[in-house]
Amino acid sequence: MIQSAMRFAIIVAAGLLICASGAASEARGAETAAEPDYARDVKPLLTRKCYACHGALKQAGGLRLDTRGTILAGGETGPTVVPGDAAKSLLIAAVRGDGDIERMPLESEALSGQEIALLERWIASGARGPDEPLPPDPRKYWAFQPVVRPNIPQSADGATVNAIDALLAAEHQRLGLTPAPEADPRTLLRRLHFDLVGLPPTAAETEAFAAAAARSDAAKEQAYAGAVDKLLASPQYAERWGRHWMDVWRYSDWDGYRAEVRESQPHIWRWRDWIVDSLAEDKPYDRMIVEMLAGDEVAPTDPGVVRATGFLVRNWYKFNRNVWLESTVEHTGKAFLGLTINCAKCHDHFFDPISQRDYYAFRAFFEPHQVRTDRVPGTADTAKDGLVRAYDADATAKTFLFSRGDESKPDKEHPLAPQLPRLFGAQATIEPVALPLAAYYPGRLPFVAAEELKQAEQARAAAQKALADAKPDAQARARRKLAVASAAYESIQARLAADEAVYGNTGKPGEAAKKKAAAAQRKLARMQADDDVADAQAEVDAAKMKVEKAAAGDKDKLQKALDAAEKKLAEARKRLATAEAEEKKTDAAYTTFGPVYPAQSTGRRLALARWIASPDNPLTARVAVNHIWMRHFGEPIVPSVFDFGRNGRLPTNQPLLDWLAGEFVADGWRMKPLHRTIVMSAAYRRSSDEGPAQSKNREADPENVALWRMNTRRMEAEVVRDSLLAVAGALDTSRGGPDLDPAAADTVPRRSLYFRHSKEKKVEMLDLLDRANAVECYRRSESIVPQQALAVINGGLAQTQARRVAARLSTTSGDGSFVDDEAFVAAVFACVLNRPPRAGERAACLEFLADQARLLAKPEQLTRFVVGVKPQVEPSADPHRRARENLALVLFNHNDFITIR
Amino acid sequence: MTPHYRKTPRRAFLADLGMGFTGLALGSMLAADGIGRASAMDGARAHAAPSGRPHHAPRAKSVIWIFLVGGMSHLESFDYKPALNQYAGVEIGKTPYADVLTAQFTENLRVVVPNDANGQQRLKLFPLQVGFRKRGQSGLEISDWWPHLGTCADDLAVVRSMWTTDNNHGAQLQFHTGRHSLEGRFPTLGSWAHYGLGSLNDNLPQFVVLGTPLADCCGGVGGHGAAYLGPQHAGVQMGVDPRTALPYSSPGDGVFVEEQAGEFALLRKLNDLTAVEYPGDANLLARIKSYELAYQMQSAVPEVVDCSGESRETEQLYGLGGKSSQDFGRQCLVARRLVERGVRFVQIFHGSNGGAGAWDGHSKLKTGHENLCRQVDQPIAGLIQDLKRRGMLEETLVVIGTEFGRTPGSQGADGRDHHPFAFSVAMAGGGVRGGLAHGETDALGFHAIEDRHYVTDLHATVLHQLGLDPRRLEIPGRKRLEIDFGKPMQKVIS
Repeated sequence: MIQSAMRFAIIVAAGLLICASGAASEARGAETAAEPDYARDVKPLLTRKCYACHGALKQAGGLRLDTRGTILAGGETGPTVVPGDAAKSLLIAAVRGDGDIERMPLESEALSGQEIALLERWIASGARGPDEPLPPDPRKYWAFQPVVRPNIPQSADGATVNAIDALLAAEHQRLGLTPAPEADPRTLLRRLHFDLVGLPPTAAETEAFAAAAARSDAAKEQAYAGAVDKLLASPQYAERWGRHWMDVWRYSDWDGYRAEVRESQPHIWRWRDWIVDSLAEDKPYDRMIVEMLAGDEVAPTDPGVVRATGFLVRNWYKFNRNVWLESTVEHTGKAFLGLTINCAKCHDHFFDPISQRDYYAFRAFFEPHQVRTDRVPGTADTAKDGLVRAYDADATAKTFLFSRGDESKPDKEHPLAPQLPRLFGAQATIEPVALPLAAYYPGRLPFVAAEELKQAEQARAAAQKALADAKPDAQARARRKLAVASAAYESIQARLAADEAVYGNTGKPGEAAKKKAAAAQRKLARMQADDDVADAQAEVDAAKMKVEKAAAGDKDKLQKALDAAEKKLAEARKRLATAEAEEKKTDAAYTTFGPVYPAQSTGRRLALARWIASPDNPLTARVAVNHIWMRHFGEPIVPSVFDFGRNGRLPTNQPLLDWLAGEFVADGWRMKPLHRTIVMSAAYRRSSDEGPAQSKNREADPENVALWRMNTRRMEAEVVRDSLLAVAGALDTSRGGPDLDPAAADTVPRRSLYFRHSKEKKVEMLDLLDRANAVECYRRSESIVPQQALAVINGGLAQTQARRVAARLSTTSGDGSFVDDEAFVAAVFACVLNRPPRAGERAACLEFLADQARLLAKPEQLTRFVVGVKPQVEPSADPHRRARENLALVLFNHNDFITIR
Repeated sequence: MTPHYRKTPRRAFLADLGMGFTGLALGSMLAADGIGRASAMDGARAHAAPSGRPHHAPRAKSVIWIFLVGGMSHLESFDYKPALNQYAGVEIGKTPYADVLTAQFTENLRVVVPNDANGQQRLKLFPLQVGFRKRGQSGLEISDWWPHLGTCADDLAVVRSMWTTDNNHGAQLQFHTGRHSLEGRFPTLGSWAHYGLGSLNDNLPQFVVLGTPLADCCGGVGGHGAAYLGPQHAGVQMGVDPRTALPYSSPGDGVFVEEQAGEFALLRKLNDLTAVEYPGDANLLARIKSYELAYQMQSAVPEVVDCSGESRETEQLYGLGGKSSQDFGRQCLVARRLVERGVRFVQIFHGSNGGAGAWDGHSKLKTGHENLCRQVDQPIAGLIQDLKRRGMLEETLVVIGTEFGRTPGSQGADGRDHHPFAFSVAMAGGGVRGGLAHGETDALGFHAIEDRHYVTDLHATVLHQLGLDPRRLEIPGRKRLEIDFGKPMQKVIS
């Protein structure tokens, strides 16, 4: 018994992982040996073990155990607890599983001896506890209520204020905080650039902004607003924020073992390009959701939209369809709704009003869909390139509830229809979508016919030329080849004609054309077989000649070759016989140009997408603005970014969250206006300094929850790599295209988001610097470990870019003259750290340049490292220049490079 | 080099910087360790992060975890079953032990790839491919393919009653994380040890991986990963060639050692100047420290893998003179040098071949296993003997494991298939009993029947010997199940 219980535990494990996280810290209560206290000891234990079935969500047996009052009142079988008498208390019998009573909790581990003893002691000592009100209905939880935009407090002087600042100011007043002053101009511009485009400003941009700031407040304001607009309009904005949304939407290139695809799919980069393109054109977020979940239903013939279904394709999993759909459900819930629907796979949700039935009804929206790869212009072979996308393959696919989440125990009696989680009280309106021909039979796209004909034409022309050029003894063969090429061309023509008759709205029955096409194909097959026989025969003849002429020593080898040729001939003859028999047939079974898929899509995903993307959905806009906010401020408003449910965290400032969500929807779900509002706020522009001057603020709000200052952040992995390339002037800003080989990341200067990224396939440098977890990354993690230091000080990319920076800054742009050390130090600080050196830094760097040049002037006295990378650019032969290269490399490793203040 | 143990727990080191920001810096290091981050994400601010000190008196300081990739036959190593010879060639159903096929334990099986050619039950019994003998004072039975290890019998605790659920090589991942391969990536045992314990040496990574890691088919880098604990707790792969031991450990032969020393010195100076500007910046202090470690690791890592100072006699002990045993012997020797310098957890993979692993004896099991044993037998025995004579075995736990056993029945003419229902692991040192055979399988070696242990019991045992209670290694937001914790094998602990 124990063993099979363990097996069950393993099966449900994944589902429980996040769901029951509240338990960890509460488990300690039971260890206390003193007099049990209801609030401290008993309630946490009951919360963990009993509330799922006997609480606000559900009252199995009419019993609630979430207040002392209801515990005493009991359920259908009478009072649960007899104060003072543990032995007579039903609760104790139930957790022990005594007598006829089933051991509780039914669906999880039994209580430990210690925990039972705790309950007994509590009952024995009178089952005391405070009177508590019944906890409220979980459906009334804040996150499930509609967004109501708060009133914006006016400033005292009546001037218009940024709503963000007004809403934060209320918190500042409440907590007695004095917000930090605005950051210095260079720090601010650097922050803005990294935030919006993921690349540093140039030294010239920094200095121009600093100069404007020095002129007047108005000039600064104008320059700042100008920078914001310029950056939001730049293609680099879309790449920067594209990578953020790739985190949230779990972008992964294909993964697998050697050539075998196990997860996601090849060519899914088209979805990545869709993400970048959509952000560049500021496509409304509600539209983006619809395109990702149902692009094939909403715009079935537009490959630019259909590629968005990469969001679904990404979940493809070779070994198990259930795992595939589980991922789809889990991450649709987390990414768009901030809802851990996945926790209801094995049992009703422990915290949120989502039943296990809701889980499977949600899955039913996705049940009919599958993944396919359509041909794209220019490449006939979909293994080499193609449009990988979702489509509804089977409208009749049934969804069953799996008992305890175990796929071997489907409840086949009760197939489930697609339904929204009932807590929202909304109905999805599902209407089947009739697909145009080009969508369900992509082989009918004009480019396919054109390419097929062209290819056949070219083959025929080549065969004609070969015949014209052939020497007399090769003419017969060339004539044969031409005949095959002509038959191939005719076969394609016939198949196109059949397609036209069948799909071309001619109104005529296509039977004759189909028969003709089938006959042309059979003829082609027979001619090809004929040709193969003739070729094989020629090989046999040639081999025979060789055997006859051969010297005794070579005979054996040549005889083997002859045997092989004869075997090939026999096989070719066999195939010919089959082809000849086939040719006698008269049926109409011709081959289409690729598969023909169902002509109708269920419309289920579209219905789901429209509900998610509705302005009335209480979660969608809140979840999105929370993600955007976090990536500007380093901290989200709702800390549990993928869980807005009752097991998640409360917003630190709900009016702010709701104002942002309301504003977002009112602006047509466009992100750029939201970014602009955020970065224009005083809150965003504040200094991050938490030095001695801020000690009062630090005391009142040490975690900076109320944002009295800006948070200091660390560059993400991709930003580090991209910025090293950018400061050296080496960044290749070309956009999009197939995923690049990670092994080339040191030498191919494209932006990091374009390199192959999956669970096992990765750029090593990015991995060490905490790249996105390809499996799930609603929020990046950050670490500080020595291997990162080694990657940036010893890596080939950093060394090469340092050498480039030194070369670039050592000559002035004009006359090419060599700048002096002092000017170089200023220039390299401006270029890499976007600020001038402080006095102490300047002195240290000048001393370093002199010392290092002296050292490097005598290479014969120095020791070389033994092995390592081979950077693209060699160190300079000039010791002074080389010292400057060293300085640039040091600044790449400076804390203030990787830090965004 | 004299091994220098550092007594200061890693998380206290920032106090040594003398900059007076210990409190903040501590918070930062905790953040760097994934704890602060987890609390920021999940809000359990009250979560007590590991202090770097053991929960109870430890019996071992370090672990050397040897993993034989592919599935070593328990029947030809540590679990002698003469009945296989007696009923050789007979269908299991026609022997007195027919009930093994329907025992409830068979329900533990989890089929990942239905209708896979491998991972099937094989019904016709296959005789033992090697003889056994009783070894040492204890009379522990070990097969003749392990002559050197046989001489260590009185130091070995063999557990014959291990079981797992995954019937394909996803079990390799499962052996390290306790979770089935379908469930995703979870922290490995080594990463939990790393998470729970402070460092004994700040110049070296604390969780080191030697040999070729698992192939992507079977867990890949997840086999030494840290999953949600954060990459800083993951095993660091090291080679045994001093020149290429660590990724990015050298800038290449275009750079001079003195040149780079100058760079590190300037960097330290500049970062210190910045610390004056930003006295509250805890991450900056952590980063200064990480650069110091990086600089030291550059030289410490090549030094530790450079075995040129070892005596010829020591080299012989590890089998460095033998053609088959020299590669693995060097890894075992480096493992000793690592634990000598305070590295907590050394994981050595043997038999990685880009696929399921060399120990996967579906056919020609006899020649295959015999060759493989020749590669590892002397090195492992040498390691145990060397640790013992240096007085290190008492505080170093050596574990020899594999993902599952092999079927009592034959696959094809001369192989055995995967067998998750019973397999053996062996341990030595670190406070485990010597000369012990713990647990029992049935007469065919089909099911573990006495003192059964799921793989996490082995994890619990290792952590227990390190002084850690797995139940106290929680991380907020990550619920661990009963099965994840396992229970220490009290009977093997001395």
